[in-house]
Amino acid sequence: MSDEPKVSGRYRELPREEPPRALDDAILAASRRAVDARPAPLVVPTGRQRWYFPVAAAAIIVLAVAVTVHVEREQPGEEIVTQVEPAKEVLRTEPARQYQYTPDPKPAPPAGTRDLQEQRPSAAAEAPRAPAPAAAPPSAPPQRALGSAQDSAGADRREKTDALAKRADEANAQLRQAEGARARSEVMARAAAPASRFARAAPEQWLLAIDDLKRQGQHEEAARELAEFRRRYPDYKIPESMLIRVEPR
Amino acid sequence: MLAYQHGDAGAFETLYKRHRGALYRFVLRSLHQRSAAEELFQEVWMRVIEARGRYAPQARFTTWLYTIAHNLLVDHWRKKGLTLVELNEDEMVAAPDNPARQAEARETLARFLQALEALPHAQREAFLLHEEGGLSVAEIAAATGTNEEAAKSRLRYAVAKLKAVVDE
Repeated sequence: MSDEPKVSGRYRELPREEPPRALDDAILAASRRAVDARPAPLVVPTGRQRWYFPVAAAAIIVLAVAVTVHVEREQPGEEIVTQVEPAKEVLRTEPARQYQYTPDPKPAPPAGTRDLQEQRPSAAAEAPRAPAPAAAPPSAPPQRALGSAQDSAGADRREKTDALAKRADEANAQLRQAEGARARSEVMARAAAPASRFARAAPEQWLLAIDDLKRQGQHEEAARELAEFRRRYPDYKIPESMLIRVEPR
Repeated sequence: MLAYQHGDAGAFETLYKRHRGALYRFVLRSLHQRSAAEELFQEVWMRVIEARGRYAPQARFTTWLYTIAHNLLVDHWRKKGLTLVELNEDEMVAAPDNPARQAEARETLARFLQALEALPHAQREAFLLHEEGGLSVAEIAAATGTNEEAAKSRLRYAVAKLKAVVDE
């Protein structure tokens, strides 16, 4: 391998030490575990505390599920009432408007009744929240002439009421989904947060931040950050001038 | 490494088998202490596993691997205040058959090993990267964070000193 074959040959005569079998097994097991637990974590504890990470991950998952279930059960009560209120308003006013129906070919009523009829819409408008009257039975003698028209109006009313109720249900469901998704994303964002506050910064900026910490006398914090940095960027060459500034003394 | 990055555990095993012996000897002969060498050897591979998500093939995998090893060695020496620990007697060479030849071979290799240990760290590292890792001068420069001239010079000095021992 070397330019000098004698030297290379003599070097090759040295015993060919190999790592112990237990070490091989430990490393290969770690590589398989890492693949099973994808994606790769940003920062992984080292040494004897390696088991912390799986335990912490399991705890976060349990917490996330618990919070999501809790949010989905608790939230709809209050917030949805305010959201759905307009839909209820429509539901209440709609029947009142329906009852303004008047059959068309009818002899012109006396002046007094015409006044009354003209006043009806405004009365209905003044009391939009009055409870909807029950649908008149089709066999009611005074309203026999209106029977078929009222039937069709009742059917329309029911359809519209059903449609509005359906829309309100859909709005409720969407609101619940949105709330659940928001809660889940918040939990996931918290879980994915890096161990170091500088971990998302560029390596150079991170080193400068460590330097700042040291200048502020926060040596332990600086040492911790440097260790994190080393784990995150194992092949990064810290310039000598910077190494002097960031390394613990 | 890219296959392992995409979840192929078998690819890591192949990589590991290819490099385990050479990397282990590189670390062992750099540290002269088996327990520390095993710890550091394991740490190198753990860093490889942890960094798989960020691995980008900018250079040969071998160069990347030995760069990690170099960085960890530098950390190790800094923690130790740059003191080197002597190689234990029981880690010295064992040689075959004939007692006379065995003694002679042992003596020759012991001298060579002593000369290797006596090399300045940077020269020994350059030599070991060349012999064990199969790294070229340019790759040694990349792995150790130096320029090619310096890497070439270190390797040349190391070989010259070892050659003097071999020629004795």
